[in-house]
Amino acid sequence: MTSTHTNKRNPNSRAILIVAIATAIDLLMSILMAHWSYSWFPVQASAAAPYVDQLFSIETGIGTFIFLGCTGVMGWVILFNRAPKYDEEDGDPIEGNIKLEIIWTIIPLLVVFAIAAYSIKVNETLSTLGPKQKYRLSDNPSAITSVDRTSIIGPIQVIARQWNWEFVYPDGVRSSELHLPVNQRVNLKLISEDVLHSFFVPAFRLKQDIIPGSVISYSLTPTREGRYRLRDAMFSGAYFSQNQTDVIVESEKSYSDWLTFSGEQPLQPGLNPSQPLYARRLEKGDKGWATVSPAPAPLVNDPGDPSASHEA
Amino acid sequence: MTITNPEIPLNHTPGHIKHDGHNLTGFIIFLCSESIIFLAFFTGYAVLKLTSPEWLPQGVNGLELKMPLINTIVLVSSSFVAYIAERYLHKSNLWGFRIAWLLTMIMGSYFVYGQYIEWSELAFGLDSGVFGGTFYLLTGFHGLHVITGILLMGLMLVRSFLPGNYEKGEMGVTSVSLFWHFVDVIWIILFILIYIWQ
Amino acid sequence: MSTSNYDPRILKAPHPVPGAPDNWKRFFSFNTDAKVIGIQYIVSALFFLLVGGLLAMVIRGELITPPADLVDPTVYNGLNTMHGTVMLFLFLFPILNGFNNLLIPTMIGAPDMAFPKLNAAAFWLVPVFATILMASFFVPGGPASSGWWSYPPMSLQNPLGRFINGEMLWITAVALSGISSIFGAINFVTTIIRMRAPGMGFFRMPIYVWTAWAAQTIQLLALPVLTGGAIMLLFDLSFGTTFYRPEGGGDPVLYQHFFWFYSHPAVYVLVLPIFGIFSEIFPVYSRKPLFGYKVVALASFAITALSLIVWVHHMFYSGTPQWMRNLFMVTTMLIAVPTGIKVFAWIGTLWRGKLRLSTPMLFCLGGLFNFIFAGITGIMLATVPIDVHVGNTYFVVAHFHYVIFNTICFGVFAGIYHWFPKFTGRMYYEGLGKIHFVLTFIGATLNFLPLHWAGLLGMPRRVASYDPEFAIWNVIASIGAFILGVASIPFILNMISSWARGPKAPPNPWKAIGLEWLLPSPPPAENFEDDIPTVINGPYGYGLNKPLVEDEEYYIKRAQEA
Repeated sequence: MTSTHTNKRNPNSRAILIVAIATAIDLLMSILMAHWSYSWFPVQASAAAPYVDQLFSIETGIGTFIFLGCTGVMGWVILFNRAPKYDEEDGDPIEGNIKLEIIWTIIPLLVVFAIAAYSIKVNETLSTLGPKQKYRLSDNPSAITSVDRTSIIGPIQVIARQWNWEFVYPDGVRSSELHLPVNQRVNLKLISEDVLHSFFVPAFRLKQDIIPGSVISYSLTPTREGRYRLRDAMFSGAYFSQNQTDVIVESEKSYSDWLTFSGEQPLQPGLNPSQPLYARRLEKGDKGWATVSPAPAPLVNDPGDPSASHEA
Repeated sequence: MTITNPEIPLNHTPGHIKHDGHNLTGFIIFLCSESIIFLAFFTGYAVLKLTSPEWLPQGVNGLELKMPLINTIVLVSSSFVAYIAERYLHKSNLWGFRIAWLLTMIMGSYFVYGQYIEWSELAFGLDSGVFGGTFYLLTGFHGLHVITGILLMGLMLVRSFLPGNYEKGEMGVTSVSLFWHFVDVIWIILFILIYIWQ
Repeated sequence: MSTSNYDPRILKAPHPVPGAPDNWKRFFSFNTDAKVIGIQYIVSALFFLLVGGLLAMVIRGELITPPADLVDPTVYNGLNTMHGTVMLFLFLFPILNGFNNLLIPTMIGAPDMAFPKLNAAAFWLVPVFATILMASFFVPGGPASSGWWSYPPMSLQNPLGRFINGEMLWITAVALSGISSIFGAINFVTTIIRMRAPGMGFFRMPIYVWTAWAAQTIQLLALPVLTGGAIMLLFDLSFGTTFYRPEGGGDPVLYQHFFWFYSHPAVYVLVLPIFGIFSEIFPVYSRKPLFGYKVVALASFAITALSLIVWVHHMFYSGTPQWMRNLFMVTTMLIAVPTGIKVFAWIGTLWRGKLRLSTPMLFCLGGLFNFIFAGITGIMLATVPIDVHVGNTYFVVAHFHYVIFNTICFGVFAGIYHWFPKFTGRMYYEGLGKIHFVLTFIGATLNFLPLHWAGLLGMPRRVASYDPEFAIWNVIASIGAFILGVASIPFILNMISSWARGPKAPPNPWKAIGLEWLLPSPPPAENFEDDIPTVINGPYGYGLNKPLVEDEEYYIKRAQEA
């Protein structure tokens, strides 16, 4: 952009200086923004998170450079190229500049190809998404195998409903919260019993839709101990926003302790956050617009702790 | 414009000038757009057929081919008859046009009748899974187009009796016969997709 | 001016002459004059902007606090769905069709559209489907509430089990809107291809005409796919088929393909004419030719072509296989190239111009500023690993509104102010216009900028309640939304009072170059009638001292005397 500055005039040192200073400021701001962008995310709790944050940071940097470059020129023009009040004359009748137009076609092309190439590499490194298998709803989805040879833990069934979550471990333990051991690749089997849902853990930077009629194999590696929010990210009806639970990433020992302890607990109703709201609605005379009634609470060994505070 | 001298004759009719020359352009654009709906249905059909865990409803083994094949031959040849009708009109042979045009309409009506017979004899309904749904959707939507085509041809036939109707051109007949060929081509694709590819 | 001044034959014409006694009545009739239809479109669309805005106020009112306490969540979902539907199908598409009706014939020197009756029919479908959509508020169970995407199987749940339900009315209304758009598209494309003034080759058309053509091509090629998908949705909902119902072997993801095959390009249908408006207005108010006219014109069709092969980027986490995600990431990012060309060309146009910061120019500059930002977040969203995190969160809502409101609506406002004198014959009040701009810019920025951070932190879109950590961003956004509500007051005041008693507008108040500015303000019923000028030069000849048409002086004089 800035190269037009010297257009049609003999390049003088003052113009070059202004362009150089402006570019330097732009570059500095871009680097600062790129660094700052890391703080806009929740904590990094999975192997994917650093890649996502880094990609975002790179794009924030490039984006800031372009944004400030363009809007900087706009600002300059607005400040210094305004027509005086009674000036009715026209501006310079420049109709185009082939060289410039080629430059601003090729450079964005190269930039986006570079970003795309790097993203494809990241996708391959993470390879979170496994195969998606369709099945007849009359069949039992649990019977469908979900294999990911690189995973150590699992497959854990993740069952989404309107509006609660249930997690079934390979040894039969059922839970309302998802417990995972840290630093071990885990394979999930995503199943929906009614409508579309989405498995979304912001701290993991991962999201995968859950599709009724299909079993989706999904693998991830948690990397940081803590309690994180798991949200339904695909709009699923009336109490969609209530459809969240927690993921608890813990050390290998606490994880196996929890599995053994939970296996000994009797089955009891698990978390069903929409139920009290729906009950209150019925109490008030079922006002509002139509909705299906919430699914009953799943029977689980570990009903979870809705009052515990999550980190992200 | 606002103040004109009534003494000077206006050299165009007040209101809108007839833009007959644009009708064919507009109609071709419409047909392109219309073909995309069919394309969407065909794609949907292919995707569902290839991926659905249960395709044919229980007790249904496929579709019978003989009757639809006769139907197809009738419909495809009606396109040629429509073309002959157009040639007659081009040579200003009005009666030749009317007879061939009527024959096209009769062949089209036979196709609709054949479709009706086939529908009434089928063992599955609209709600018999994805197979039933796509079958009735595709053939029904196409059938609607055939009926529309026959009605439009009827309109053109009636208009051929108006004196001086073709002095300004044959845009209406050209458009309708274009529509008829379009319906025909769609049927051929549909026939291959539904009946041949089983 | 008394009636007797008119040629009696013209008074018998189906459309009254501007200023004639029954002038206003024509707006409520089946009038076939493109300029009347244009104003019908624009005024009804602006009415629905208020309706959709009111729904947005309730949404932002609900979201100002974390719990769902203002309305029941079911009501929130319904209002949310209707906000999106009203804004897209009753505000944006109609208002841009309004611009097309006003600008295409006048800019290419055609007396009217190619098919005036079809044109009127396309408009009168708008009140029909608007009524259907509004009626859905009053059917048992309430309006459609599955979001404006209406993804099955949720949209098929029909809790009350009635045949007439909100979702069914919604699909019907959307299908009718599709038919109206196709009618419009056939008309606009035919008009552009067949009815240009003598001498106006394709590369002498104003960019607005290019972009409208590119946009309407998308309507013709992509909209039927949504129509097909919607018909199948209706059959699933009402007639027992199972195209999208997994329990009958159907595939819910198939609908997503149909939906996005149109609904992503739909954004380009909306934004392309806005690019056109930018390309018209920047040269006028910087007194310079458009930088790189030919490339800008061709870039419109590059966008059209690319827009048809990017839809899967809305489905990166819908179980789409890896190769497909990579492919559609690349195609999506490629759109940055033609749009980038346009952005740089506009900046090149501004460079060393003689800028006049009147209201249309301010809205264009604001719109361009916001669009550059939206383009950058767009690239972020196209990047698969980032989209897997921010997809379906408020980051998308923020990006989308940066495009749809902060760019497209800014362009719409710019267009309304710029061509207001031309089509109403009155000048608007500059002061009120500037207040409108300042309030809109502040409100829009406060409203939509903070939502990016809510999304990065993981706040899903469409929620009626949220975790307290997102509260701060939502409070700021809600304040911004209320400022936007206030911003409509100076706009409405300006429009009504200016049209009623604003100073009379000369034919060319902005000293702009273009066929529409050679016509009187407002232009007569059939524009140039039979006296269509012969175009001898390209558009945007600011400072080049080349006349646009043969005998330019004659047309200027004629317009002034009218």
